[in-house]
Amino acid sequence: MMKELKEHIIRRVKANFTEAEENNDFTYDRLDFTVKKEVVPSLLLFLKEEMGFKHLSHASCVDWLEEGELELVFILWSPKDKIKVFVRTRLDRDNPVMDNMDNIWPQLHTYEREFREMFGVQFTGLEAPDEFILEDWQGPPPFRRDFDTAAYAEKTFWHRPGREDAQDVRETIANRDGEDIPDFAKKYSR
Amino acid sequence: MSFFDLKGTLKPLTALKQFGKKPHTISYPKVSKEAADRYRGFHYNDLEECIGCGNCSTICQNAAIDMIHLEGIEGKKGDSGLRPRIDHGRCCWCALCVEVCPTGSLSLTKDYNYVSEDPDSFLWTPGKDNPQGKEKISFFSTEETSLNVFQRVPMPELEGKERVKSFAEVVLGYSETEARAEASRCISCGLCTEVCPDHMHIPEYINAIASGNDADAVRIIYDNNPLPEMCGKVCTHRCEDVCAIASRGEAIAIQWLKRYATETAATADITHEIVNPEIREANGKTVGIVGAGPSGLTAAYYLALRGYDVTIYEANAKAGGATMYGIPKYRFPIDSLDKQIDYIQSIGVKINFNTKVGKDISFKEIYDNNDAVFMGVGFPDAWSLGVDGENAEGSIQAFRYLYMINSGEKVDIGDKVIVVGGGNVAIDAARVSRRMGAEVTILYRRRVADMPAAQDEIDGAEEEGVTIVPQAIPIKVIEDEKGHVKAVEYLKAEMVPDERGGRPRPVAIEGSNTIIEATSVMAAIGQKGDYSFLEKEFEDKIKIERGRFIVNEKQQTGDPKVFAGGDAVNRTADAISAIADGFRACKAIDEMLMTK
Repeated sequence: MMKELKEHIIRRVKANFTEAEENNDFTYDRLDFTVKKEVVPSLLLFLKEEMGFKHLSHASCVDWLEEGELELVFILWSPKDKIKVFVRTRLDRDNPVMDNMDNIWPQLHTYEREFREMFGVQFTGLEAPDEFILEDWQGPPPFRRDFDTAAYAEKTFWHRPGREDAQDVRETIANRDGEDIPDFAKKYSR
Repeated sequence: MSFFDLKGTLKPLTALKQFGKKPHTISYPKVSKEAADRYRGFHYNDLEECIGCGNCSTICQNAAIDMIHLEGIEGKKGDSGLRPRIDHGRCCWCALCVEVCPTGSLSLTKDYNYVSEDPDSFLWTPGKDNPQGKEKISFFSTEETSLNVFQRVPMPELEGKERVKSFAEVVLGYSETEARAEASRCISCGLCTEVCPDHMHIPEYINAIASGNDADAVRIIYDNNPLPEMCGKVCTHRCEDVCAIASRGEAIAIQWLKRYATETAATADITHEIVNPEIREANGKTVGIVGAGPSGLTAAYYLALRGYDVTIYEANAKAGGATMYGIPKYRFPIDSLDKQIDYIQSIGVKINFNTKVGKDISFKEIYDNNDAVFMGVGFPDAWSLGVDGENAEGSIQAFRYLYMINSGEKVDIGDKVIVVGGGNVAIDAARVSRRMGAEVTILYRRRVADMPAAQDEIDGAEEEGVTIVPQAIPIKVIEDEKGHVKAVEYLKAEMVPDERGGRPRPVAIEGSNTIIEATSVMAAIGQKGDYSFLEKEFEDKIKIERGRFIVNEKQQTGDPKVFAGGDAVNRTADAISAIADGFRACKAIDEMLMTK
């Protein structure tokens, strides 16, 4: 039953969006489509209006640092057929621009503001104040994988007094045993 | 208003309808609602379970976690003795610390109320300062949810049936991808280095492998071990016993990663090129070394690097000592040993082969002609069984048998071999005999679980078809009319608890005599030293007690000029302890001769 339903959805989607790539490998109630970013608004609209995917469950962003891309993922749910569809698209990491889609689901408005602030994705036509959660943020988008959280915290927040007795584990053990770690090896110490 | 107001009397009774309802008011004393499952409140740390690896402190993106000494917690093998203290003013409750904790001792609780006027009071030690947290644990990691990888990358090996056909190496070694994946599991705590007798820089070389710098890994390894490929193949790898990851999973394959790194240097020349050793100018001092085993070679290598003129006197035709003649070639191929010896010679160490000290050259001569002497003489003799008929033809010491096979000699063992003993030598002799086509039975006086041999060796023997008969005490070797071994008679034993608290003792069951046919019997019940090469004049100074040299913490004997190491000194009887002895002796000799 689920198998036929999935095949039906794939047929309908492919008839309208020929370039959509499906992933039908899931054994549970899930189906994925990967499309170009230009196609996303019309595919979402099609799934919502024509295929019964009335509900937007979730939207998220993935940083594919090594591949130089950001991926947006929209998870849709059909209350009628009890199945979810993932719509995925990749953006250029250096210039991530996407159409505003909060007219399809108003709640996308919040997601888009988050993606803009945390990942640096720009949504053309999004009308919202610049700041979302972060206050006076000057740095790079903090959810990107090349953002060094530890370095930022170190630079921004002072250390509370009373922590000077902290020990290094590796050093403690080496000192106990009289192990001399050569200088050239130390860059590999933790 | 009438005298009797019916409405006014009955109306208040309507309040009774509220009787069965839950009150909207706050009850007193106030009961807080319980937080959600998996709520991430304040930390709790089980101080007993924690091993102080510091992974929590390393992962913390807010630098909120310090590792500190706590009163009453001492460092020991497998425990740094440090415990995490958390600045809850910096913590953002992401719980990464919990998800990377290898032991699972660190968790988060349902506690989230903490009110104080003093911001510094937010700095406290979970487990010590909130013992009550144990009852409120809500966010914890399991083997499945932890961010640690608890499964080891499996090592490809020859199958048991294939193995017995030849002396081909059983362990096939990691590929580059496998090695990087395995190395990436390491959390670099360094607990392993404490257990390694040689204190090798394990986290550093593993990290170098993980980041793709095999050459750096080789350099780090050679910093205090000149025979690392040997250790990569045959080490007792006690380091892996205390691996933090092993607390809930499989230890990092430290031994095999070392093997991988050293094998990337395929020849002695390449090794030389990669290690690029800094050899100091000759300082005019000479050191004589007795025995080219692991301890002697190690002392020689590092002394030569420090500018000493080093000569090793070796009785056999090849260097390596017990690792050359005692370890079967399917575990440690001769090419691999040769490569390492060639490299050691390439930096200037001289080895006089076939030169038995006490016969071809006197100890006194070496003593007189050198500024210092190191003895790494090992245990060249074996204990005999002490039963009737053990001198029959076909009865041989397992140690001697391995020596002959490794020297390329032919030994007729027939098709039914009995090996007596439960140590690594017994297992090695049994597995070699299997490769020679014989059926092999091991007789051991205690239980299999009591065998001193490494577990993977015992498993290997069983996979190759060796039969192990535990709780069997041989009492007689039966000869045929020509004086050749025909059978072995043994008694079955029962294990009797030791009254003094030691391990259970095997006691023979009278009348349980069993006879098992054999064409060859090999005794493998231990080795001993031979110190006949030492002239009388050294007897007073160089003390021998219970078959071993007495040395101080610098490997120095009673004669300040003479140092010793290896099996003739320490009880662990493994190569890495011998290497550690050689390294220690080198530092002590250098210190002694340079401050003169």
